[in-house]
Amino acid sequence: MSQLALADSVTPGAQAVSEADFSGILRENQAMVYSIAFNFLRDQALAEELAQDVFLQLYKNLGRLESRQHAANWLRRTTGHRCIDFARRRGPVKEVDLESAPEPSSEGSFTDPLLRERLRRLVASLPEKKRLLVIMRFQEEMELEEIAKVLNIPARTVRTQMWRTLALMREKASHFLGEIDSTGRGPDRKEAPE
Amino acid sequence: MSRFDDELREALKRVDPPDGFSERVLARVAEERAKPSLIERFRRALWAPRMRWAAVGALSLAILAGVQHQRAVEQRARGEQAKEQVLLALRITAEQIQTAERGVRKLNASW
Repeated sequence: MSQLALADSVTPGAQAVSEADFSGILRENQAMVYSIAFNFLRDQALAEELAQDVFLQLYKNLGRLESRQHAANWLRRTTGHRCIDFARRRGPVKEVDLESAPEPSSEGSFTDPLLRERLRRLVASLPEKKRLLVIMRFQEEMELEEIAKVLNIPARTVRTQMWRTLALMREKASHFLGEIDSTGRGPDRKEAPE
Repeated sequence: MSRFDDELREALKRVDPPDGFSERVLARVAEERAKPSLIERFRRALWAPRMRWAAVGALSLAILAGVQHQRAVEQRARGEQAKEQVLLALRITAEQIQTAERGVRKLNASW
């Protein structure tokens, strides 16, 4: 069974998460929630506000959660959805379509922090759902099936979108990363649809 | 594993939230806990002076409307009863007239 048990309903007889567990859950998951929000929004103040709201919502829903693992999955999903909602409400203020995103001019070294900043900007330029896919895959190291469950979309769609997004990002990034890898293949390339 | 994936993973790796984050969350939770529940808020609203007078007014109106309705029902019942009595009287009178008419016809025939 997947670790990502995402059912909203509480299994009969299951022990709900108590109020006493809340501070533990907060401590264990604050970096995860904040990082999803920060990587998505690229704004510290907004990310903190959103993360606080998510934890407050968790507190109100403690009785519906079965375990700490369930709470962690709930947090991951709720943060993702809230990020998308927030970005949609805010409108396309900072969003730049990936196709038209400015291409970095200089080449960077492997350890160059600027290079990573460029990659973050590249992620920030993605449309909301694709951005969340990339964050869940590369920040949270989630499997594509898990992401599909979290976002409630077919796994096939996730696979296709991930492949297209990464292909486009690789192309953009190749200008400042140089030769991406010797084989020209990434881990998701083999999962690409025919 | 490609260099691109490694760099992307590194660029998006988890970061700690700003100092005091958990304290701020717990403070908001404490605020939330201090807020009265929906039932409590309703109960308090109900006991506010304005709401009390409004409730008394509404109750008085309801009683008045009930009394009026009861009166109307009773009046209608009385009217129905009177109508029945009139109809019964008319029926009896008609029967008596018919009896008298039959008596007069018999007398006329014997003469």
